Amino acid sequence: MENKLLSEHYDKEEYSSLKGYQSYGGYKTLETALGKKPEEVVQLVKDSGLRGRGGAGFPTGVKWGFLPNNSEPRYLLCNADEGEPGTFKDRLIMEKAPHQLIEGMLISAWGIKSHKSYIYIRGEYQNCIHIMEKAIEEAYSAGYLGESIGGSGFRHDMDIYIGAGAYICGEETGMISSLEGKKGQPKLKPPFPAVKGYLDKPTIVNNVETLAAVVPILKDGVEKFRSIGTEKSPGTKFFSVSGCVQKPGNYEVPLGYPLMDLIKLAGGLREGRTLKAVIPGGSSAPVLTAEECKKALMDFESLSELGSMLGSGAVIIIDDSCSMVDMLSVVEKFYHHESCGQCTPCREGTGWLSKVVDDILKGQGRIQDLDLIKGISENMMGKTICALSDAAALPAISFVTKFREEFEQHIRKTLSQRKSGMLSA
Amino acid sequence: MSKKLIKCKINKQEIEVPEGISIIEAFKKLDQPIAHYCWHPGLSVAGVCRLCMVDIEGIPKLQIACNTEVKEGMKISNQSEKVKETVKWGLEFHLINHPLDCPICDQAGECELQEQYMNFGQYSPNMSERKVKKRKVIDLGPQIVLDSERCILCSRCVRFTDEVSKTHELGIFNRGDRSEIGSFKDKPLDNNYSVNTVDICPVGALTSKEFRFRQRVWYLKTADSVCVGCSTGCNIKVDYNEEGLFRVRPRYNKEINGYWMCDKGREVYRLPNRKGRLLEAQVPVPRFHGDDGHSHVGSGHSHENGNPSVSSVEILQKIRKLFLVDKKENKNANNVLILTAQYTNEEYESLISFFLDNLGTEKDIFYWKNNPESFNDFDGLLLRGDKNPNTKGLLEILENKKTLNSWEDLESRLSTGKLDTLWVAGPENQKVYPKLEDEIKFFESHCKNIIWWTVHPLPISDLQNTWQIPTKTFFEKEGTIVNFSGIKQKIRAVEVLVSAALSLSESVTLLKGEELKKEEPPFLKPPMKTNYFPGKKKVI
Repeated sequence: MENKLLSEHYDKEEYSSLKGYQSYGGYKTLETALGKKPEEVVQLVKDSGLRGRGGAGFPTGVKWGFLPNNSEPRYLLCNADEGEPGTFKDRLIMEKAPHQLIEGMLISAWGIKSHKSYIYIRGEYQNCIHIMEKAIEEAYSAGYLGESIGGSGFRHDMDIYIGAGAYICGEETGMISSLEGKKGQPKLKPPFPAVKGYLDKPTIVNNVETLAAVVPILKDGVEKFRSIGTEKSPGTKFFSVSGCVQKPGNYEVPLGYPLMDLIKLAGGLREGRTLKAVIPGGSSAPVLTAEECKKALMDFESLSELGSMLGSGAVIIIDDSCSMVDMLSVVEKFYHHESCGQCTPCREGTGWLSKVVDDILKGQGRIQDLDLIKGISENMMGKTICALSDAAALPAISFVTKFREEFEQHIRKTLSQRKSGMLSA
Repeated sequence: MSKKLIKCKINKQEIEVPEGISIIEAFKKLDQPIAHYCWHPGLSVAGVCRLCMVDIEGIPKLQIACNTEVKEGMKISNQSEKVKETVKWGLEFHLINHPLDCPICDQAGECELQEQYMNFGQYSPNMSERKVKKRKVIDLGPQIVLDSERCILCSRCVRFTDEVSKTHELGIFNRGDRSEIGSFKDKPLDNNYSVNTVDICPVGALTSKEFRFRQRVWYLKTADSVCVGCSTGCNIKVDYNEEGLFRVRPRYNKEINGYWMCDKGREVYRLPNRKGRLLEAQVPVPRFHGDDGHSHVGSGHSHENGNPSVSSVEILQKIRKLFLVDKKENKNANNVLILTAQYTNEEYESLISFFLDNLGTEKDIFYWKNNPESFNDFDGLLLRGDKNPNTKGLLEILENKKTLNSWEDLESRLSTGKLDTLWVAGPENQKVYPKLEDEIKFFESHCKNIIWWTVHPLPISDLQNTWQIPTKTFFEKEGTIVNFSGIKQKIRAVEVLVSAALSLSESVTLLKGEELKKEEPPFLKPPMKTNYFPGKKKVI
């Protein structure tokens, strides 16, 4: 069953306007939050155990706690650059409930004492951009943004920044570089953004879903929030289910929800098909075999126990009609295209991986290439500034290990085809 | 302010380092080998080559040494199999798209890819895919050629133009393995420090037009010296062999030039080369033509500019005879000594003492300053308007001898009437004396004789009064020069390229009538090989 903590009113068209949002109790939570001390807000988020919904699952309250205790201006950045292949949940939030995001951002900004925030939206999301722009305008005219919000004396300005389509700008320091007008490249850490981020000032970067989830935490309290989901992964999560299911789409379920139930929720597989594999957390998450899917629970801990990750919650269902070689080739092509080129292992490794996998797909592969793929991947992982090289390496390793037989078969088949002249060399 | 020292262990060796330095700096202090490309001590940390990985006790993941500070009690190692394997793969990643065109690459022999492969790599390559093709032989500016395929994108050159020269010409365009160094809208990389990018480029991606294809670096010897291009006195390394000098590169000196030098200064390698130098002494033209009494002085053949040439020892003996012993030409002596600031302290001392003892008084010594308009210019980094290496040294000596007379004093002195003899220690680098020709003419018309010490023949032919004595360059003599801030630096005699050349001190020895100790055999292998690919600016 879905648990619509955030998406309760997403089916109502008026919910995306200020009036509609207010008619369902919108911005009431902001008023209560402004009545609390900022430290209390941070403590509540800390207590709620809310974990970042962008992919890494880092506890949000803890992240906020890294801000230095000084009077420097600080920034809140909302990461709406949703670029992980398979993910489309932030888009839903922005399209259906832009004010929910603004309210969540305002509460968060009050908590971290920030007077300026940016929503970094990927350029392809034209619709979201228009909706968010309109919503921000509405919020300004209703006094929810600008000087002295709701008469509280708290001042906050919000702006939209449109990305230009680079996957790497979804990485928080890459996003900061891009926002600063530089080439979107991740920055060397330390220093971390909470200490030295946008314009070298303390900066907090949170995902759209994370910031929106702050609203129910303050509205219904920590207890209610923690009662949903698991001990270490409380709350609900949007899962963008795509691939070989009958009803692909976003589903909001409590964390810890069984994967097989989620597939059922999404209409199940097409008739006559059997499940082959699932990528549970966006294209960078290691793939799960059908066997593993049976015991998979959709929360941070369970999936990492299975050697995969929850990531951004993009669940890609693969049935027996799909070729794993083809799938991996697409994934690696993507990372090759998106590597920023800064760190050598990633710049060269993503290209190399893509070429090797592509050669296998085109029938030029050799059996030893499978070990080479593992070798390249293992030496890309954890060796770079950001996690893009890990994102390229993890699926490669899991695909060639878990589906080695299929890869070998493909190589042998194409080899014999080539020998018999059916495939040109 | 001295920083607190902290203790750490590097490859089991204990070391005390100042607080706040990075692990890679500590490795360098200990002279422990560590692979790296993008880190350069004179630039900010980029942390992109990912080669300087180290194991730190208590941290599960390998860390890059360039961006990790040393902490008290840290135990660091780069000897573990894990690190070695990572570095090998790191090198392989660097090399998979590198063209490996070492046989035709100018960097071969001083290439960090080669060096680090030999030190840390030595794997057999796994790459069997086609390499990424990129642009080659890109004319980046008046001094630099870029080969994008060789580039390993360490970003040192980009950081150099951002942080040191602050000219911001370079950037990395595109992304992933399509990344390329370039300049926006192909704006040329044209600043006074551009060749430093060639020095810091670890591979053969950036090469200097002036030097490329002229010598294989393993045929070059290197000598330490000091740049004589201006009064900054940057420390340099001179690369040379029996065919001559080929380039100078900066040598680290924290006080003076750090890791850098300017492009103008790099031209000083041309000064000692035989091409264009005064190879033999020259005597005035008309005086010895048709005058039987002196014809034995000339050796018969004439130098390019028309003046007859003779051996420099012979001519100095002759000068001694004419101007000092016989005093035939020196009745009621009216001598003037003119000094440029391009000689060593030792030379000034001996020449001035000799002059005061034998030829004139303190009133007769003049300091010849060039380009007074731009003399005090400074570009904020290294390049100074005072184009003489030893202005400070000369002025100090003149002050000590209580004889500080300026160019204006000289002008009024010369215009008082015809003088007998001018003794001129002329500039080693004539280019920095923009009005040299006028000044020579001015001298010629105001005196009977000029004894001129010079490295290159004077730019005017058929000089009627001038004796030219070939002089040693900074590469051929030793001595002390003092830079603008008063730092005394020794230069060393490396090799003599023109055997007739004499330092001022040696000339004084001969003028005193003493024997000069025997010259070393000429260092160059005659005849000099013709270079068919001379480095020309603006031409690749």
